[in-house]
Amino acid sequence: MLNVGKRNTRNLIWIISVVLVMSVVLSACGSQEAGQTSGSGRSNADDPLEVSIMTITPSAVPAADDNVIKRAIEEATNSKMSIQWVSNNIYSDKLNLTLASGDIPDLIMINDPFGSTFTKMVKQGAFWDISPYIQEYPNLSKGIPNIAWETTKSADGNNYGIPRPRPVTGDSFFIIRKDWLDKLNLRVPETTDELFEVMKAFVEQDPDGNGQPDTTALAAYVSPDDLGWGGNLGPVLGAIENSFIGSNSSWKWDETEGKLIYRELLPEVRESLQYLTKAYSSGMMPEDLLSLKLTQARELFKRNQAGIIVDKTGTMRKIYADDLKKVDPSFKYTDFYPLTNLNGYNPKGSGYNGILAIPASVSEEKMKRILQLVDTWMNPEVFEIQQFGIEGTHYELVDGKKVASTEKLTADNASDFNHIVNVIDLPWDTTGETEEETQANELFKKVEAERNKTSVADLSAGLQSETGQKILPELNKKIQDLKAKIILGREPIEAWDTFVESLRNDPNVQAMSDEMTEAYKKRNGQ
Amino acid sequence: MSVTEQHLSTHKGKQTSSKRNKRTKWLSALRRDRSLYLLALPGILFFLVFKYIPMWGIVIAFQDYSPFRGIQGSEWVGLQHFTTLFANPDFALLFRNTLAISLLNLILFFPFPILISLGLNELRNVTYKRLIQTVIYMPHFLSWVIIAGLTLLLFAKGTGLVNELFVLWGWPRVDILTNPDSFWIMVTLQAMWKEAGWGTIVFLAAMASVDTQLYEAARMDGAGRLRQIWHITLPAIRSVIIVLLILRLGDIMEVGFEQIFLMYNGAVSEVAEVFDTYVYRTGIEQGDFSYSTAVGLFKSVVGLVLVVVANRLVKRMGQEGVY
Repeated sequence: MLNVGKRNTRNLIWIISVVLVMSVVLSACGSQEAGQTSGSGRSNADDPLEVSIMTITPSAVPAADDNVIKRAIEEATNSKMSIQWVSNNIYSDKLNLTLASGDIPDLIMINDPFGSTFTKMVKQGAFWDISPYIQEYPNLSKGIPNIAWETTKSADGNNYGIPRPRPVTGDSFFIIRKDWLDKLNLRVPETTDELFEVMKAFVEQDPDGNGQPDTTALAAYVSPDDLGWGGNLGPVLGAIENSFIGSNSSWKWDETEGKLIYRELLPEVRESLQYLTKAYSSGMMPEDLLSLKLTQARELFKRNQAGIIVDKTGTMRKIYADDLKKVDPSFKYTDFYPLTNLNGYNPKGSGYNGILAIPASVSEEKMKRILQLVDTWMNPEVFEIQQFGIEGTHYELVDGKKVASTEKLTADNASDFNHIVNVIDLPWDTTGETEEETQANELFKKVEAERNKTSVADLSAGLQSETGQKILPELNKKIQDLKAKIILGREPIEAWDTFVESLRNDPNVQAMSDEMTEAYKKRNGQ
Repeated sequence: MSVTEQHLSTHKGKQTSSKRNKRTKWLSALRRDRSLYLLALPGILFFLVFKYIPMWGIVIAFQDYSPFRGIQGSEWVGLQHFTTLFANPDFALLFRNTLAISLLNLILFFPFPILISLGLNELRNVTYKRLIQTVIYMPHFLSWVIIAGLTLLLFAKGTGLVNELFVLWGWPRVDILTNPDSFWIMVTLQAMWKEAGWGTIVFLAAMASVDTQLYEAARMDGAGRLRQIWHITLPAIRSVIIVLLILRLGDIMEVGFEQIFLMYNGAVSEVAEVFDTYVYRTGIEQGDFSYSTAVGLFKSVVGLVLVVVANRLVKRMGQEGVY
């Protein structure tokens, strides 16, 4: 009797321990899901809105969950945010993986609303069409410029996300070292030919005055990450190609034929290729331009080794100038000189940088509350929290004006929150921390005013073609490879002619052109 | 061989006993070794949960998978993704590049650690031997990102250290990073530099277990160093070499995604695009999950077939295989 009982308890212990091990392992897998569902559970309208967010962070160390600025925004908007900050460099990959997992945060930043994964999922109804609701939220409908709403419209004419507005001015364009120009007695270039002369001088005439032929002109690089950008050549070389075409669009309207022409078929692309080939062989850009990454190209400029970069006007101090001053103490902020136009062209921004989408798995009631959250956040008194921080900690009131400490704001990741909500129609304040910076800001303001006269918008922004979605990923890669080889002198320019001829005869390219033309006509009410 | 035969025959003898008897035997064996089984349980669960259950994800290779609809809701398309892959004009290119890099690995990289180990094994000075071993292990612990960075610093055409030296000596600059002709050999040499030292561990261990009496006997018979290596050391580690070779064959379609991806650039794309990078581009970058799963599955099947065939061949030749 006793013996049997003992054996039974022993067996029981084994069974219990097995069950325990199993449950630990299984719960480890299940916990993530449990956390997800609790967020979308039943909620009272007065409770703080629990919302999960995924977006980019430009900072090496993202804002922690108990960040003071985040807490202040949460309090002001009656919300409880769990934010997943993802590094800029890997965002596209992370986004696609998140979309594939089906475990999508309540508010997710889609950096390219016309990317293939997102558009596919939109078609299947995976995201809320928010267009019918926008009018109910004054900040969303009026605070975000119309151009941003227009250019982020999906193929069916609906908006599947709140655009993150950005100014249409100040888009990436050439920035030149004015002190080098002055030293070599050169004028600010206004055409691609003049630019070529300047680049030549920057390489041959020792602009840094160290007696060594160690300078290059254009801090350029070509990266496979930039497929689809500036004729697939990326921001820098793409800017040159764009200046030849006079547009940063992949499509050009042909008045005589009444249809859109695919960019690569234009004769200007061939011209720009010849120009770039000549520039490369004359040492006007880094020899290793294909192996360089963005940071390494920037490094050239910061180390006083390149005279021209392509970037946004406002990036001056944050990214380049302070480092450059260490190498060349005579450099002034105003020597960071943005060009106003080249061949009478400069690019107009599309007015947005990504959109915030809400997955359809979120209930309608909650979706409305999320829209409300963004709307409230755009109120000046809430948005000012990320601009100026908290009184006493980040800013002091001096004569009724808020004087913020840039250092403390940076330490608390204040501007990171711009990657969730950003208000742009604030007047540009030119006062900087020093007299030199103020002067630079005034110069930039003047440049932007000049640029406004010649800036050209992408006429195909927001237009899509189904065939294009299918063929472009491979085609873009082929184009980049071929252009790179021609610029490096590995292939003759005739290889481009052969390629263009094959594009012209490609039924897929023709289908894509027809679809794009149709979409363009439809939007322009023709 | 004879031991396993004996084992088999006793096993066969037991089969004649009744079913119930067999079941209780099984249970009592389970009960007797329960602590061992319990120890193995976390491992078994690990493989079940993290290796076998996710394997069901393979079914999306036969679907038009949409994350929104899930595996249950997605449309079945049969072998469509496979036909797309085989019909793709780039398929031959992918296959050629993958195989070329893999074969170079097999021919150059695989015997390299064996040669090093043979050399190290002959070294009589222990301190010196340990020092060399430690130094050649080191690169194994560097990530590919760092190695790609080092390669760029050393071999970049414009600013690389090696090219600067060449210029100093009055030689022409060499183009390594963006030259399609040198790409395959470059990645092979890179892999050799990084992993060859690490690969010597297994071989050195196998050589350490060789009976020293054999060497003494050989010396008595007048065998020199090379003779000893050829007739004693190499046969002693033959089975280790074969096992590693078979396992290596299973990976023939994998050429190390990270390395290729980091060394990839527009000028070398036609020799650098391999199945791994293709899966990444179609799957992660373009979000074509079903298609990239199909490519991955094809890759795995080729690897599996190669392992099975090689294992058969080896066994037929009278050697011990992997399983």
